[in-house]
Amino acid sequence: MELFTPQFGLVFWMFIAFLALYFVLAKYAWPFIIKSMEERADLIDKGVVYAQQAKTHLDNARAEADKLLGEARQQQAEIIRDANKMRTQIIEDARGEAAVEAKKVSDAALLSIDQARKESEKQLRAEMSEIALQIAEKVIRKNVDNDQAQRELVEKYLNEVETKN
Amino acid sequence: MALGFIRAGHHHGDGEVNPKEIIYEHLGDAYGWELPFCHDVRIPLPIIVKGTDGWHCFSSSRVTDGGTYAGFTIAEGGDYNGKLVQLQPDGSQYRPLDLSVTKNVAAIFVAALLVVLMVMHVRNWYKRHGMTAPRKGTALLELIVDYVYTDTIRPIMGKEAPKYAPYLLTVFFFILTMNLLGLVVIFPGGANLTGNLAVTMTLALITFFIINFTGTREYWKEIFWPDVPMALKCPVPMMPLIEVLGVFTKPIALMIRLFANMMGGHMVVLVLMLLIFIFTSMFGAVVGGVTTVFSLAFALFMLALDTLVSFIQAYVFTILSAIFISMAHVEPHGHAAEQTKE
Repeated sequence: MELFTPQFGLVFWMFIAFLALYFVLAKYAWPFIIKSMEERADLIDKGVVYAQQAKTHLDNARAEADKLLGEARQQQAEIIRDANKMRTQIIEDARGEAAVEAKKVSDAALLSIDQARKESEKQLRAEMSEIALQIAEKVIRKNVDNDQAQRELVEKYLNEVETKN
Repeated sequence: MALGFIRAGHHHGDGEVNPKEIIYEHLGDAYGWELPFCHDVRIPLPIIVKGTDGWHCFSSSRVTDGGTYAGFTIAEGGDYNGKLVQLQPDGSQYRPLDLSVTKNVAAIFVAALLVVLMVMHVRNWYKRHGMTAPRKGTALLELIVDYVYTDTIRPIMGKEAPKYAPYLLTVFFFILTMNLLGLVVIFPGGANLTGNLAVTMTLALITFFIINFTGTREYWKEIFWPDVPMALKCPVPMMPLIEVLGVFTKPIALMIRLFANMMGGHMVVLVLMLLIFIFTSMFGAVVGGVTTVFSLAFALFMLALDTLVSFIQAYVFTILSAIFISMAHVEPHGHAAEQTKE
């Protein structure tokens, strides 16, 4: 029964073939393959941890960003309120100043108008007295001897007129 | 395969089918390797023998068809049936030291070459692509390597795993390739390698050597002076005897398990196929035709099962080798054990 009686030649060649196979693979292949596989497994593990950390970081960052955004909104609102207040203030100040200035201008104008009126009144009076004198001179030339006395009279009447007005 | 049987039938017995002869021819070794579907055309292989007059080396084609070369011929019948013998002057047959590259030896080389190509392919992937995951066939190989190493060898051997992994992985892939090649019916497969006792014996012997040459002192102490009541080891060394027996039964179990599983699978397929011819010659063509359908269906099922068995047996051989080797590396028991002994 050939199957149950191992042939020496086959054992011999099997031994040689196996040893050759073993030494080739043990030297060039298996350690390298095992090392690479383990390195890759480590790399993947690290990657998972890294991804988890990254996710936590991202979540934290988002919360922080939301917080900052809220603060910024609040600040914005405050700034706007301040600005509004300041605007009102500035407008009111400007208005007040303008009123004071306008009053000054109008006072000055009134003063000058008053002065001008007085000036013109004076002039008018002089002219009026001149005209009146001429008229009176012409009307009552004969009756008037003393020019000086006449002028005083006219002056006196004019004063009366003026106080009446 | 069936065609081969028909021709074989024609060859051996003028229409008569001789199942035993056909089965042993298919399971056994041969000088020269049949080409697919041509029972008569064989690839010649080198014959290397040391006869009574020294070494001879010649092509198998000189003797395969009943020829005689330099006194060598293939015996028909007798003690050395199918083996190369040297005809002595007195007419007797002398069986020379036969280191011929037979069909099985050539198939071993093919399997070894295939393993080298496959494993180097995976290695080259890592050399070239670094940390990228392999794709397709490479990924399948890597998956198997990962399964055998990470999920089997490492849990069993622990820190020693990297040291013995090359041996165990080589054993696994070599056995797996030989198993699967054996299921391929045509050249370059078709050689019943792991169903041959010489092949499994060599593998088991190597494991045996590793177990016993790397065994620790504690391992030998447990064999010759085990931790059992004195009556069991002195004056009659019963336990040592059992332990010593165990040293040899472990590799023998490895050898027989692989051999029987693979040979059994092959034999069942062969018998199923032969049933067609036996029934046809016994009951006629109609019965033979019906048998053909059933036989083919069952043979196909058996081949599928054998594919599974190929993986399982390669795995079992590897895992048991790992367990036996790590069992030989026992360290002395802790204090608790010492105290109970005292």
